[in-house]
Amino acid sequence: MNRRALLKSTALTALAVAGYAASSRWGAALAQDGARIFTLAYPAGFPDLDPATSFSNDGAVLANTYETLTRYIPARDGAEARVEPLLAESWEVSADGLSWTFHLRSGVTFHDGAELNADAVKKSIERTMTIAGGASFIWSPVTAIETPDPMTVVMKLSDPQPMDIIASAGFAAWIYSPNAVDKDNAWFNAGNNAGTGPYMVERYEPGQRAILTRNETYWGGRPEASFDKVVFEITEDAVLAQSKVESGEADWSYGLAYENLEALKANPELAVVVNPSFETLFGMYNTRRAPLDNPKVRQALSLAFPYDDVISAGTAGLGVRAKGVVPPGIWGHDADAPVPDTDLELARALLAEAGLAEGGLELTMTYANGDSLESLAGELWKANLEQLGITLTLQPMAWEAQWQLAKSDPAAAQDILVLLWWPTFITPYDYLFNLFHSEETPNFNLGYYSNPAFDQMIDAANILSGTDRPKAEAAFIAAQRLMIEDAAAVFMMDRPNVHVIRSDIKGYVDNPAYGHVVFANELSR
Amino acid sequence: MKAFALRLGWAGTLSLGIIIAYVALAALAPLLAPYPAQGIGAPNIVDKFASPSAQYWLGTDHLGRDVLSRVIYGARVSLTTGILVVAISLLIGLPVGLVAGYFGGWIDEILMRTTDIFLALPALLLAVLLASALGAGMWNCILAVAVSWWPWYARLARAEVLVLRGQPYVEAARVMGVSNATIIARHILPTASKPLGVQAALDVGPALLTASALSFLGLGILPPTADWGQMVNAGRAFFPERWWYSTGPGFAIFLLAIAFSVLGDALRDRDGGPRHAAH
Amino acid sequence: MHLIRYFLRRSLLSVFVVLGVTFLVFVIAQVVPSDPAALYAGPRPTAELIEAARQTLHLDAPLHERFVGFVTAMATGDFGISYKSRRLIADDLAIYLPATLELAVFSTLIALVIGIPTGVLAAARRGGWLDRASSLTSIAAVAMPTFFLAMLLQFVFAKWLGVLPLSGRMSQEFSVLDPLPTITGFNLVDAILAGRPAALFDALAHLVLPALTLAAYPAGIAMRLVRAAMIEILERRHITGARALGLSEPRILFGHALPNAVGPALTVIGLSFAYALTGAVLVEIIFSWPGLGRYVSEAILSKDFPVIAASALVVTICYVAMNLLIDLAQALVDPRVALT
Repeated sequence: MNRRALLKSTALTALAVAGYAASSRWGAALAQDGARIFTLAYPAGFPDLDPATSFSNDGAVLANTYETLTRYIPARDGAEARVEPLLAESWEVSADGLSWTFHLRSGVTFHDGAELNADAVKKSIERTMTIAGGASFIWSPVTAIETPDPMTVVMKLSDPQPMDIIASAGFAAWIYSPNAVDKDNAWFNAGNNAGTGPYMVERYEPGQRAILTRNETYWGGRPEASFDKVVFEITEDAVLAQSKVESGEADWSYGLAYENLEALKANPELAVVVNPSFETLFGMYNTRRAPLDNPKVRQALSLAFPYDDVISAGTAGLGVRAKGVVPPGIWGHDADAPVPDTDLELARALLAEAGLAEGGLELTMTYANGDSLESLAGELWKANLEQLGITLTLQPMAWEAQWQLAKSDPAAAQDILVLLWWPTFITPYDYLFNLFHSEETPNFNLGYYSNPAFDQMIDAANILSGTDRPKAEAAFIAAQRLMIEDAAAVFMMDRPNVHVIRSDIKGYVDNPAYGHVVFANELSR
Repeated sequence: MKAFALRLGWAGTLSLGIIIAYVALAALAPLLAPYPAQGIGAPNIVDKFASPSAQYWLGTDHLGRDVLSRVIYGARVSLTTGILVVAISLLIGLPVGLVAGYFGGWIDEILMRTTDIFLALPALLLAVLLASALGAGMWNCILAVAVSWWPWYARLARAEVLVLRGQPYVEAARVMGVSNATIIARHILPTASKPLGVQAALDVGPALLTASALSFLGLGILPPTADWGQMVNAGRAFFPERWWYSTGPGFAIFLLAIAFSVLGDALRDRDGGPRHAAH
Repeated sequence: MHLIRYFLRRSLLSVFVVLGVTFLVFVIAQVVPSDPAALYAGPRPTAELIEAARQTLHLDAPLHERFVGFVTAMATGDFGISYKSRRLIADDLAIYLPATLELAVFSTLIALVIGIPTGVLAAARRGGWLDRASSLTSIAAVAMPTFFLAMLLQFVFAKWLGVLPLSGRMSQEFSVLDPLPTITGFNLVDAILAGRPAALFDALAHLVLPALTLAAYPAGIAMRLVRAAMIEILERRHITGARALGLSEPRILFGHALPNAVGPALTVIGLSFAYALTGAVLVEIIFSWPGLGRYVSEAILSKDFPVIAASALVVTICYVAMNLLIDLAQALVDPRVALT
C-alpha cells in the first residue's frame, strides 16, 4: 500500500476507533448514573403482543408485563410439582370438578390505573375466548364465569379439567385491564400497556429490540438492585448471541451451540444453567403408509436410532433419554417406560420378520429447516439405517410446508416427521391428545396413529385429572406404554434447556413450564 | 505444452494447474481422501472436534469426520455446481442472444426485455428466491443460480451477433440464400463463442461463490453431502476455538475462485473477450 | 434532444421491467411449497383457524384475481401484511430499508475510496510492486466468499483487537438509554441532524466492518477497471504532451487523466450498489444488521411470501433507479452512449 492510501485508511480506522472508545466511555458514565439494564440476546422477534392471541416467543415479553391467576412450579430437587398463587391468592374446586372458585389478590392495579377485580378477570378471559385466536382453546371447558363478589371468580366447566393448571398457562391465560378489552390487536402491538406485571413495554423495534421499563406501582416485591429496564436484543444468529454474552453486551441467552458450553463454563464471568425442558424431540411414523403401517418395521427403525450418540454428539451429553413423549418434571412422566435401546441386531431380526431382510427400503424424513440438532439426529440415524439396507433421505423444510405435506395425503406424505413439542399448559393430555389421539382429519396427529384403547384411556384419565390426579397419572402412564409398544414414534430425546447468564446476575431460576421466559423482576446485579 | 504455457503466462498456467488439481481431487476423491466414508457423510463421533494432527490433517468436524476428506469430496459438489451453472446459463442465454441479435425487430425487443426483467432482480436475490421456492438440494441450487445467470450471456451473445451480422461474409451468405440456421451455426456461432467462452471461464468462480452462499444460507446442498459453503456455516459456530472447521473449506472456495478468475484473465489477454461483464 | 429521448425511453423501460419483476415474483410464489394460511393462523392453529385464515387471505380465489390483488397491494405501496407477523409490510420496510441503504451507500463509498486511488497509482507505476500488490489484492478481494470475509473481519477487529463493535447498528447508550430521534432512518444523518457527535461516531464504528465486507468485491473490480482505463488514457497523446510540458506527475494523474476514469467509476458505483443490496442477505445476518437482507432471509426461512415479494420488489426498484441514474450520468459524460 502506498503512503497516501495507508494514511487514508489509518485515518479512517482511527476515526472509527476514537468514536467507539468515546461512545463506550460515555456509556460507562451513564451506567454509573444508575440505569440498571438487564439485556437478553433473544433469538426471535415479538410480532404479537396481544395477550389474547400471542402464542409464541412473545411470551417472553408478556410474562414480564402481564400476570396469570396462578403459576406452575415444576418438580425439582425432590420437591413435587405445584401450582402457586399469583393474581389469585387461593382457589378451590367442587367435588364434581365442574366448578372452580378463585379468590383474587387485593391491592393490585393495572398499568393504566384500573383495579384488579373479578370483573376484570371475567372480561379479559371472555375477550380472549371471543377472539378465539392463539391458545385461547385452553379456556374451552369454561361455560360460564361468575363474579359472586368483587374479589371472587367462579368458573363453571363443561367437563372436569385442572383449571388451576390451565390458569397458569404461558399463553392466553393473561389477565388484562377492563379498559383494554375493547381494544384491537394493533393497539397492543403499538406498545400499549394493560397488564399488572412488574415491567411495561416502552418500545418495540421490529428486528432490533424490545425495551421494557419498570412498573413502579407493582404489587409484588423486588430484590435490592433489581433492574430498571429489560432489553431484548433480537439476535437470530447463535454465534453472535454467544459473542454478546461473552463480551457482556448481553446478560442472558439461549440456543447456543452445545459444543461450546464447556468453554463457556470455564469462563468465570458466565454461568451455564442446564435444566430439563418440557420440549421433547421425536419422529412420528406415518402409520398409514407401507411399510411403516407394520408395527414391526417401526419398532425396527426405533431400535436403529442412535439414542446415546445423538445425546453425546448433539447436546454434548446434556440431553436426556426420552421415556415416551411426556418429559420429566411434568406429572404423568413415566420414568420406567419400556423405550427401546439402540440394537441393530434386534432391528435386523424384526425387519426379517416383516419380510424386509433384503433391505432396499427408501424412507424420507422431514425436519425443521435450520435446526442443527434435528439435522444431526437424522445424519446419525441415516448412518445406522444404512447398515440395515435402508436409505433415509433427510429433507429440511419450513414448518408449514412440512405440516401441510403430512396433513395432505398419508399415502404421499413423508415417512417420518420430526417434531419438537412443548405443552400449552402442563398436563400429559396436551402431549398425548394432540399427538396421538385418533382424529378424522389430523391436525397434529401427523403419523395418523389410531388405537381406540389408547384414546379411551387418555380421555378417561383427563376427566380424572381435575379431581383425582394420582389415578389420572396412572392411567396416562398405562396409555403411554400402549403407544410405545405400538412404536407410534421414535422418541429421540428430552431436549435440555441451556441458558447462559452473566455470573454477576443474582436470583436466576429457569422455569421450563414457561419456555425461555425470564422473570426479570426476580433478578438483580 | 510449453508454448501453451507461454501464451497463458505463468499466472494463468499456475491457475490452470490448480484447477486441474481440484478436478483430479474431485474425480479421484475415493482414492485420495484419507477417510472416503466420512467424506460421504459417515459419522465418527468418537473423534469429534479433533484438532489438526498427523491422523486428521485438517482436524475433524462436529460429527468427528475428517475435514480434509470432506473438503476433497466438497470439490465434487463445488466444481459440478460452478461448471453446470455456467453451462446451463450458456445453454439458455446463447440461443436467446443469438436469435435476438440475428433477427432483430420485435423478436429482439421481446427477448431482450424479458432478459432485462431477469437482470433487474439482483442475481443472488433471484437465486435465493428460486432456491427457497424449489427447495434445497444440489440440482435445485444449480437451477436457481443458472436462472439468475443466463441473461448476461444473452446480452453478450447478442452484442457479438450485432457486430458479426453486418460482416460482409455473413451478408454474402444471406444473399446466396443460405438458411438462417446455417448462417448462425456456421458463421456466427464459431466467432461469437470465443469471447463467450472466456467469460464463461471467468464466471465459474462467481457462480460457485453464489452457490456456496446459498448453501451457507441452508438453501443449497443437503447434509450429509459435503459442501464448502455449508461447512463454513456449520463451523462458524465454533470459530475461532475450532478454527479448522470453517477455515479449510473457506480457503478451498477462495483458492478455486481465484484460480478461475486468473485463468479467465489470462484467456482474455490471449484471445480477447468482453472487457467486463458486471455481475 | 437525444438525451431527453434517451431518458424517456430508459424510464419507460424501467417501469416495464418493474412490472415484469412483479409478475416473475408472483409466478415464483405459486410454486413455493408452503401453506400461507397455516403460517398466518399462527403457531399451532386449529383446523378452523386455518380455514378462517384461508378466507381472510382469499387464498381460494382464482389465480388472476389473486394476481390483481397482489399488484394492487404492491402498487399502492402498502405491500399487504406479513403472513407471519401480520404486521403491515410497509411499516417494516420503513425501518429496514434505510438501514440497508445506509450500508449500501457507505460500502460504495469505501469501494471508491479504496479502489480508485489504488487503480490510478497502479496504472502510474505499471509493473511496479504497487501494481503487482494491488492486482493481487483485487483478485483476492473478488474471489473471497463474502460470508468468510465477514467472519474473518469480525474475528480480527471485533474479537481479537477489540477495536470495532461486533454487530448491530448502535450501542445500547444510543439505542436504549438515549435514543436518536428517527428523522431519516439513516443513523449517520440523524446523528448529524440531532447534533450528537458521540452518536455519529458510534454509528460510524458499527458501519465499518459490514461495509468493508461488502466493499471488498466492488473495490477489487474498481481497481481493475480504473487501472485499465488509466493505462489506456496515459498512453494517449495529450497526456504525453502534458508530460512534455513538464507538468508534475500527480497533476497529470489526478488532474488530466482521472476525469477520463469517470466512466469506470460510474460502472463501479452501480455494481457496488447492486452487490451491497444482495450481499446484504449474508452480511446482515452475520453482523445482525437490522436491514432488508435480514428481513428477507427470515421471511425466506418461514416462506412468508408477501414479505419476500415486497422486499424483492423494493430492492429491484432501488436497483433499477440506480441504474437509470448511472446510465444518465454516463450519457451526460459521454453523449455517444445515448445514441446506441
